[in-house]
Amino acid sequence: MATEILLPRLGWTMQEGTFGEWLKRDGETVTVGDLLYTVESDKALNEVETLEDGILYIPPDAPKTGDVIPVGARLGYLLAPGESAPSGHADIAPKREPLSPQTAVLAPSEPIDATLPRVAPSQPIPAPIAKSIGKTIAPIPAISPRAQRIANELGVDWAHLRGSGSSGRIVERDVRAAFEAQTALSKTAAQTNAVEAESGLHNALPQVRRVIAARLSESAHTTAPVTLTTEVDATELVTLREQLRADTAAQDPFPTYTDLLAKLCAHALLEHPILNARFEGGTIVMGTSVHIGIATDTERGLLVPVVRDVHTKSVRQLASETRPLIERARAGKATGQELGGGTFTITNLGMFEIDAFTPIINLPECAILGVGRIVSKLIVIDGAREIAVRQMMYLSLTFDHRLVDGAPAARFLQRVKELITRPYLWLVGRE
Amino acid sequence: MASDLNINKQTQIALYRTMVLIRQTEEALARSHQQGLIHGACHTYVGQEAVATGVCAHLKHQDVVFSTHRGHGHALAKGVPPREVIAELFGRVDGCSRGRGGSMHLFSPEVGLMGTTGIVGPNILQAAGAGYTFKLLGQSLVSVAFFGDGAVNNGAFHEGLNLAAIYQLPVLFVCENNLYATEVPFSFSSRNPQVGERGAMYGMPGIVVDGNDVLAVYQAAGEAVTRARSDGGPTLIECRTYRIRAHAEGMRDGTYRSTQEVAQWKERDPIKLLGARLTTDGIATQGELDEIGRTIRAETELAIEFAKNSPFPDPRTATDFIYSTQA
Amino acid sequence: MREITFTAAAREGLAEEMERDPTIFVVGEGIGARGGNFGTTLGLYEKYGGMRLNDTPIAERGFVGMCCGAAMTGSRPIVDFMFADFILDAMGELLNQIAKIQYMSSGRLKMPIVLRGCIGIGNSAATHHSGSYYSIYTHIPGFRVVVPSTPYDAKGLFKTAIRSDDPVMFLEHKSLLNLKGEVPEQEYYLPFGKANVVRHGEMVTVVALGLMVHKTLEAAALLEQEGISVQVIDPRTVAPLDMDTVLESIHKTGRLLIVDESFAPCGIGAEVTAQVVSRGFDDLDAPIARLNGAHTPTPYSPTLEAAVVPNTETIAQAIRDLLKE
Repeated sequence: MATEILLPRLGWTMQEGTFGEWLKRDGETVTVGDLLYTVESDKALNEVETLEDGILYIPPDAPKTGDVIPVGARLGYLLAPGESAPSGHADIAPKREPLSPQTAVLAPSEPIDATLPRVAPSQPIPAPIAKSIGKTIAPIPAISPRAQRIANELGVDWAHLRGSGSSGRIVERDVRAAFEAQTALSKTAAQTNAVEAESGLHNALPQVRRVIAARLSESAHTTAPVTLTTEVDATELVTLREQLRADTAAQDPFPTYTDLLAKLCAHALLEHPILNARFEGGTIVMGTSVHIGIATDTERGLLVPVVRDVHTKSVRQLASETRPLIERARAGKATGQELGGGTFTITNLGMFEIDAFTPIINLPECAILGVGRIVSKLIVIDGAREIAVRQMMYLSLTFDHRLVDGAPAARFLQRVKELITRPYLWLVGRE
Repeated sequence: MASDLNINKQTQIALYRTMVLIRQTEEALARSHQQGLIHGACHTYVGQEAVATGVCAHLKHQDVVFSTHRGHGHALAKGVPPREVIAELFGRVDGCSRGRGGSMHLFSPEVGLMGTTGIVGPNILQAAGAGYTFKLLGQSLVSVAFFGDGAVNNGAFHEGLNLAAIYQLPVLFVCENNLYATEVPFSFSSRNPQVGERGAMYGMPGIVVDGNDVLAVYQAAGEAVTRARSDGGPTLIECRTYRIRAHAEGMRDGTYRSTQEVAQWKERDPIKLLGARLTTDGIATQGELDEIGRTIRAETELAIEFAKNSPFPDPRTATDFIYSTQA
Repeated sequence: MREITFTAAAREGLAEEMERDPTIFVVGEGIGARGGNFGTTLGLYEKYGGMRLNDTPIAERGFVGMCCGAAMTGSRPIVDFMFADFILDAMGELLNQIAKIQYMSSGRLKMPIVLRGCIGIGNSAATHHSGSYYSIYTHIPGFRVVVPSTPYDAKGLFKTAIRSDDPVMFLEHKSLLNLKGEVPEQEYYLPFGKANVVRHGEMVTVVALGLMVHKTLEAAALLEQEGISVQVIDPRTVAPLDMDTVLESIHKTGRLLIVDESFAPCGIGAEVTAQVVSRGFDDLDAPIARLNGAHTPTPYSPTLEAAVVPNTETIAQAIRDLLKE
């Protein structure tokens, strides 16, 4: 009986790996403890040893160097002497394109909920769903009309909930539990290490909270939050805002700094789409639209109302849309739709005299921009030949290093900085 | 011919006039049906005018009539203006049922027409019920059910006559035996051809009269009405008559009866019969009778014009009047 | 407050109305000197005489049609059927005449008639004396349909029925006739189309009629010990049907069970369900459940009879199942 060689889980968060190379040849006899192949996971190169004796059989459809393969995928077989190779393996070892920031990442097949039964290794792993940009296919759970209404009212994203109804239907109690967990965790997540939260909560909490804890802990394991900080000369931005204010009728809203920054970020995000991606159902979805969340302090805790299609809207449109949206969020009247679906978040703590900080990524987004206060400073400019008073501001960009490397993220931040320094640039595009 | 009756001249002229009114209204309706002005069924009373005329001549407005699907004559004889009957068949808001009924559901309670009905039988029971009210409330009023030979083998006939008899109700049960229930001959559906005889089975007077002789009908109905008003209980009157036109306008009228039979009955046309008698007895000249015909023709034409000019009911009122009040 | 039986309460209402209005009369088999098989008119014949309390031949179609004519002409008949099954013999008079006269006469005639009779399965009455056909009358425009569950409701609703100018089907569950309950001495009327919340609860709404109200209350008491909080609504009149009270309750509970002794297809539960789905869809946290009597003629033998109607335990189980949905 041929023994399957399956890609093992080499760490708690590992869901897939990039195949390196076989360390034994096809047909070679191996014994327990021999190193069989290499696989790259979490940026570590692992040499995997065999746990069985046998003759290595590498089928024609085995993964090649650089292929991304899910945990549990079959790499090959160990045969007994005289045993012929198994046939009919058209359904084995799903193949994938190598991971690259410029292409969509494929979904891990592992369920998010650690309590779910895992796919038995002897069964074929469900083929991942190919993704096209801007589209995602995920199974939609059944939900009662009432639960759906309440989820909308409370801003609970129910697509990831597991229902407690007899048929697995999401019912009201599930949504309410999720909402409680969500509000509780949105507060603790800012301070507490999610891993601790998960380990502490795993068995004590109801199902829905466990799911959320698992999700957060998973993101804590799998995301690599890195914060880049830079100081930017916002003098022109201040001037621009003053001009817009002078140009705006008294009764009309004039743009806030957040509005202006949202517009400039949207411009930069279109040029750096990976920073605009969403991590949905374990899949990176890169859209062509920019929906920017505005972190908002409310009595219920932190809420992030989302301004949609910022890239298509004028600054004035943003000004007239953002304020009522934030007011609705503060009044607890924002709909679930208004509180979800963002691709990027801006959090502005300037009003609290904060200069720089490390924002937490608002999952399932890829990055978040923290905005500090604007202060007047004496700055050496023009090759140190001149000292001037300038309006200076710190930007703090937290991004998921898992999905985007430091350099591209820095380039994005640099572009944002450039647009703030010279806001007119967004009119003319990239220089 | 009831030539020995003592009926005064004015009454005889009035009976003639009512029969002509029914005849001309029916003929106007038949023409209107051909013109497409009538949207649903139209059962004419042509040939049977003497029955409604002879009975209703005894009734006051407060007395009530429960009629059949062939009810235009009863409505007109009871005092519903021709224009309201015509407008109802035209489906107009000025129809006697405000466009809700049509030919088979004429209602004019103001003059005691308590409805014509599309179902054979129920009106017999309802007439008994009106008699019950009159008796309960001590009113000296009379209730009349008109029905055809087709109704007398229906359970409602049996139950209604029996109830009226046991409670001694002031009711006239007037059977218009026109020999055919739609197209089924009465001789087929009843082994005993006598309807009037059945009165005895319920313990009430049963009378058979020539339904084409309006004076005979008038005489028999008069006695029955007097008996009813004086707490003498109900009476069954069988009027032998004949429907000249088809069961309904637009229906073919063959196979079940011969043209000779129809021609024979046309000779016994109740209007013709009374007209001959009036001229013979010197009560009216032919010229005076012709003048009555002309006057009524003019009235009928006006009624048709009135009905044509009446608006259709507002669709928003289609569900009005289902309940007396909204709960 | 004094307690009297369901029948006595309705009879008291009848007596009060007959005293007030001389146009009211009652017909039926054995309702005259005998006072009715169920005592519905006991003692009234002596007071009001034969024309106002009149026995009839066994001719349901005949006396229903007769009362239709009576109602058209200024009196207010009450037909006492003893068993409401017998009404079926008068179906044509009911549906084609009584229900339609007001409409056909464009409101110029009224139809102040009450048709009363016993409904419901029990006492091995077998299939010709056990029918509860209220959904049929509810289907027809023109009727008011009343199914009272307590002596208090029976009197208040019966008086309203007698005063109504619309035809009213007044259907009394035979197992409730001897039920005693509080009925005030003073006169009162209960409106049609106003449901009674007979028990307040938080987790599930149960709509029930007639005897099933009592069975459901028993089930709710049972479930309370299990920590299940049940709201019980008695619509009292099926036509008009007070959906607002039902919807309000579902807005709170999110779950609905309709307990109906009568048949499920095209029944009251189907109607309530359809209206809730139309008007209260977003309040529903679970599929709507119906618990009905079996879709069968009613058998005679006690074991068979018991098998075709909901009881306290089957109702309790239906509620438990609904909460698991």
